[in-house]
Amino acid sequence: MNISEILFWFLSALAIGSALMMISSKNPVYSVLWLIIVFFAISGHYILLNAQFLAIVNIIVYAGAIMVLFLFVIMLMNLNAETEPRKNRWLKWAGTIAGGSLLLVLVAALRQVEQSGADKAVGEGNAGLIQNLGMVLFKDYVLPFEISSILFLSAMVGAVVIGKKGD
Amino acid sequence: MNLILLAAVWGIVMMLSGLFIKKKENAVQLAFLGSLILAGGCFADLHEYAFIHSDFKGLLAYDKFSHLFLFIISIALILYIWLTGKEVVKVGNHPSEYFALLFFVMSGAGLVTLFNNLLILFLGIEILSIPLFILTGSDKRNLKSNEAALKYFLMGAFSTGILLLGIAFIYGATGSFQLVNYMMQGTEAAAIYHHIGLALILIALSFKVSAVPFHFWTPDVYDGAPTPFTSFMASIVKLAAFVGFAQLILNGFSSDSARIQSVVALLIAATLIIGNVAAVYQQSVKRMLAYSSIAQAGFMLMAVFASNDMARQGLLLYAAVYCLANIGIFAVLTKMKDYTYEGFNGLAAKNPFIAFCLTVFLMSLAGIPLTGGFFAKYFLLAAVVKVGGYLWLVITAVVFAAISVYYYFKVIQAMYFKPASDNSGLITAVGSSFKVGLLLAALLILLLGIFPYQLLLDVLTVY
Repeated sequence: MNISEILFWFLSALAIGSALMMISSKNPVYSVLWLIIVFFAISGHYILLNAQFLAIVNIIVYAGAIMVLFLFVIMLMNLNAETEPRKNRWLKWAGTIAGGSLLLVLVAALRQVEQSGADKAVGEGNAGLIQNLGMVLFKDYVLPFEISSILFLSAMVGAVVIGKKGD
Repeated sequence: MNLILLAAVWGIVMMLSGLFIKKKENAVQLAFLGSLILAGGCFADLHEYAFIHSDFKGLLAYDKFSHLFLFIISIALILYIWLTGKEVVKVGNHPSEYFALLFFVMSGAGLVTLFNNLLILFLGIEILSIPLFILTGSDKRNLKSNEAALKYFLMGAFSTGILLLGIAFIYGATGSFQLVNYMMQGTEAAAIYHHIGLALILIALSFKVSAVPFHFWTPDVYDGAPTPFTSFMASIVKLAAFVGFAQLILNGFSSDSARIQSVVALLIAATLIIGNVAAVYQQSVKRMLAYSSIAQAGFMLMAVFASNDMARQGLLLYAAVYCLANIGIFAVLTKMKDYTYEGFNGLAAKNPFIAFCLTVFLMSLAGIPLTGGFFAKYFLLAAVVKVGGYLWLVITAVVFAAISVYYYFKVIQAMYFKPASDNSGLITAVGSSFKVGLLLAALLILLLGIFPYQLLLDVLTVY
């Protein structure tokens, strides 16, 4: 078993375990924290596949969007000082993000140790680089790329229609 | 392809027109113009005049069947806006946005009809559903509408997740999103992933077409949504989802057809039984129509089941007839004071013309000869017979089609044989353009019941 296989199994176990913990934990705040670990583990998988761009976007978009979701949860559930000590929560936050970042650095470092295994899995091993991604996106997949703008546009129109004051 | 482009562009036009349009009625006229343009675009597509001739490296596949279907739903859209447009405006303060969302849904319908790649199917299904979540909840002061929207959204999001998981499994098994690649399956070792993926996709699409046991959202959503949008959901959107389903099985998984058939046959039987039996017990006509749309889904699933040429012709005919009938019935329903059966009491005496058109629509849904519904059902049953070995399914379908006559005729009975009361009848007198629209829909249904082959002639020569 070489190093990228070990990493793969470790990340998979981490992702599945955290996902299970996410849906089984009673506290919504814990659920969000576990979810962030899942995202980091999946980003690790992307790095293993040499898809750095996807890995970073995954963290920016998901961890970013989830952060907003997290705030919404706190606001909607009205979690106050009695139910959730404030200091403790930020510590957990910092811990999750720092730990996840460390994990990514470790993954990035360890995959250098043994190159060939990961590369074989994805052919040339550069499918995930930004340049190739852009080429594929604007040549082969230009239709879904453009048409998804309709999807987002309709979601935005909907948000305005539903959210605006009055009928 | 014309439909996808034009619908997307016209959706944006409608959206921006909200800035300039002062009178709400003008939004209806603009939308009507858009629907005419869409129909023109689809007609051009049928004769192979398109803005873009590319198939985008195999992402889309064009054939006569899908173009004819898109033409049918664009005609249905014209009638929908003609008959129901004024009611759409009354739902809330954002008429232009409602129409914009309806046009976006049309472009999604184009995608799910023309897809040749699971990615496009996914995008199409999403564009089909997300505007509907919003339209369902557009009656913001109505608690039932809010509940329906939230239910629809949560269940829809869940089924989307299942669809994506299924697509991911298929990708894992075959290494491609392209439909043709599934004809030749991946390696033996990957076969299990193929089956899991197929099962998940079947579940997700059964949810979208509201087949039993994935139908629980349908009555609540159809009942809670503003009636003009229920009409749209129950006609055009439902058919588009069905055509997507049928295309997927026919173009992508024909090598698995024996395995799929055994599952889909059970779905059909369950859908027919639960849909029809539950419809019998409804007090509200709107809710009865929701259950009847589940029951009709049982029939339309036969196109997925058989996936032969006969089934495709049947589905086209069903699409035309079912859309026209549902749009007509719901258009009348939006004008009624009361949605219960009692609300229809004595309609024939006051408005004989509307009662007559409604009778044609209901008889067509029940599948009475001389209306298009008869031939639509006949074609689909014949397609099942052609597959062979599923005679019990045909018998079940015929028995439950007979049961469906009961609840459709209950409305007709109320209209013709019961005295009118204060709560029954229409809110206001209807205009002549509404009557002309209804007459057109009724005439088309009768024509399709007498000359079903005229519609299918083009398709028949292709297959």
